[in-house]
Formats: sequence, structure tokens, C-alpha cells
Amino acid sequence: MTEAAMETILAARQVGKAFDGRQVLADITANVAPGSVIGVLGKNGAGKTTLLEIVLGFSPASSGSVQLWGHESVSLPSPIKGRIGYVPQHDELIPLLTGAQQLALTASLHRHWDHELIARLAKEWEVPLDRRITVLSGGERQKVSMLLALGHRPDLLVLDEPLASLDPIARRSFLRQLLEITADQTHGVIFSSHIVSDLERVANEVWILREGRMAWQGDLDALKESVVRLHLRAREPLPQLMKVAHTLHEQVDGNTATISVSRWRADEASSLARRFNAEIEVEPLDLEDIFLEMHR
Amino acid sequence: MFTLKSNSGIPIYRQLVEQVRRMVASGQLAPGAPLPSVRELALEHTVHHMTISKAYSQLEAEGLLERNRGKPMTVAQPRRDQTGLAPRLRQVEPQVEALVLAAKQLQLSETEIAKLLRKKWEEEP
Repeated sequence: MTEAAMETILAARQVGKAFDGRQVLADITANVAPGSVIGVLGKNGAGKTTLLEIVLGFSPASSGSVQLWGHESVSLPSPIKGRIGYVPQHDELIPLLTGAQQLALTASLHRHWDHELIARLAKEWEVPLDRRITVLSGGERQKVSMLLALGHRPDLLVLDEPLASLDPIARRSFLRQLLEITADQTHGVIFSSHIVSDLERVANEVWILREGRMAWQGDLDALKESVVRLHLRAREPLPQLMKVAHTLHEQVDGNTATISVSRWRADEASSLARRFNAEIEVEPLDLEDIFLEMHR
Repeated sequence: MFTLKSNSGIPIYRQLVEQVRRMVASGQLAPGAPLPSVRELALEHTVHHMTISKAYSQLEAEGLLERNRGKPMTVAQPRRDQTGLAPRLRQVEPQVEALVLAAKQLQLSETEIAKLLRKKWEEEP
């Protein structure tokens, strides 16, 4: 693999953003390595869209900086801009054009356009390209939007809630396409989604935003191994405050307690069992449960 | 060939590791049998390729799979020292479970049981 292929795609350093004196993002430091599929999770208003817009240079950060392939995101030279594909949450399609006309227009703005790929995907996703955008359903518009972002074969694909109005079959096909794109280890994908199970499937890394801050970032498997729910059953009543390290949430009910913790290590179970003279069952959590535990 | 669930608390790479282990232990995957490529499995299950390669690397490190240049990975020839450690362990698992249960009912600690186990182990020729 060449040196260029391993180059970090995106590096955000202590990014902050304030709107009207309200801090929307704070202290975001993150990288996108080639080959990564990064899932961005967060409640409505957690700052997902703002973060995506800042990393792409559409909106300036109030503090910190973002670099794409070593260039400041707010002043990207156009060849670098051409390496990005973006699917906004609300599409920017021209209503009176047909899908085919919209695609031809966008294709004409790019030096390279993969007509074959787009024709194949349009067929696979059953996009009615001969109809005007105004008569398309939400899901169909979203598919057109994605085709527009994929045609020039971007090195970094950023998608803001791309899956919301797609049916399960189209979603699966789209996710497969994301994996095809990143399989060569040179491309990167960042996508935000509310559909946690999709994100859980294809992402190798997750960024969990909470109130504008990174509540967790890193390897998805590591996250799943580090956040667990403990079920304790003791012979005597347990203390009302268990004070277990890295507790996210706890519920004590007489002799039993349920505690969700982060940064869990499997070897801690026996010492906890001794400390509370209790039997411990460790329940692994899926991403949705982890997300909920982090927001209780 | 494999069942990988995304909405499980068990990371996908671990599900794959465990399934390969089981299939090798049970002989469903015989020594020399080829495994699907990382790419094939990733696309089939719509999971990130790193997830699959992480599982394969772990299985390779355990000596269960072999990497072959330019060819699919294959199930390794069993080596004497590690042959079927998992299946042999599984054979004693019921006895160990019974021991743990009895120990807990008698309110004996893990340390006390371990001590007894070590003593008996040494006594046995």
C-alpha cells in the first residue's frame, strides 16, 4: 500500500462551535483513518449535523481546526473538495428536473464520473430516473441524493441520516455499497443515523455525541466490550449507593442491584463479587442499549 | 455458513471466532478446508471488513486457521499440543459446573476450591 493511501483523511482538533452564545459543540478531537466507516450517534440536537458541516468546511468552527488530507477544511482547494461526497439530511435536488437530468447536471460538474456505477446502483435501488424529482417519494429522493454523492467516486463520503426513509432492502443494499467503497482501505465514510442496528452492522468506529461533546469515540467492538450491565444478587441488603467505578446508572433493590458501567474489564467481576458478597451476572449490551444507558 | 447478529451484545468478531471454533471442534470444518474471504463474508453479512479480519487474525494467532499467500485462509492441521483443547475442556465442563454449584451451596469460596483442586491435582500421579 502506498504512503498516500495510509494518509489520515480527516483530523479534527478541539473543535468548538457556538451559535448566539450557546455552545453547540465543544472539544471535539477525532481522526478518520482510511478504510474506516464511522457511525455518528446522538439524540436530536446533540450536534451531529453541525459537526458534519464543520468537518466539511461548510461552516467555520468557533474554535479549533479541521484538516482534510492536510488542508484546512474552511479553505479547501477545489481538487480536494472533489474528493468529498456529501449527502445532506435535507436533499438539495432541483424539483423540476428528472432524476436522470439531475444526475447529468451533477456529472457535468465533475471531471470524472462513474456512469457505469451509477447506472448499476440506480437499477439495484430501483430509482425511477425518468420521473421529476417533485413526484418522487422521500426514499426515492434520498436514493437520487446518494447517487449524486457517489458518482465522482469520493475518497470521503459523509452522510447525514441517509437511511431514515429507505426500506430495509434498499438500506441493506446501500450499506453493502458503503462497505464496497471502503474495502480497498483508502476511502472513509462518516454517517450519522438514528437507526442504531444499521450503524452497528457496518461501522468499525462510533462517535457518540452528547450535548455537543464526544461522550464516546473509538472502536465499536471495544465499546461493546467495555459497557455492560451487572446484575448483583447478595445474601444481605446491598448499600443504597454502590459506588462502583465508572457507573452510568444503578438501581438497588434490597439484595439485588442492576448497575450499568463503562470501562468494564472482565477480570473485575470476581473482586466486585467479593466486595459485595454477591453473585454477579455480566450482561453484554447492544449498541442501542449502550446508547440508552449513556443517556439515562 | 455463519450467523452474525449485529444487535447482540457480543461483538460480531467474537461471534465469528466462536462459530469457527465450534465448527472446527465438531469437524464441520476439517483441516485444510478453505474459509470465505474477508471481502466475501463482509459483503454477505454487511459488516465492516475489519470486523472479519480481526476474527480471522485472532483465529490465526490461536493456531486454528492458516493464512495462505494469495489464497483463502484454511483450517490448520491440528498440532498435538493444542489439538482439541476446546473440545477436551468442554468434556469436563459438566463436572466443573457441578463442582461450582456444590461449592456455592456449601458457601465455599473460589480460593478454597482452587486450593483443594491444586492439592488433588498434585496427589494424582
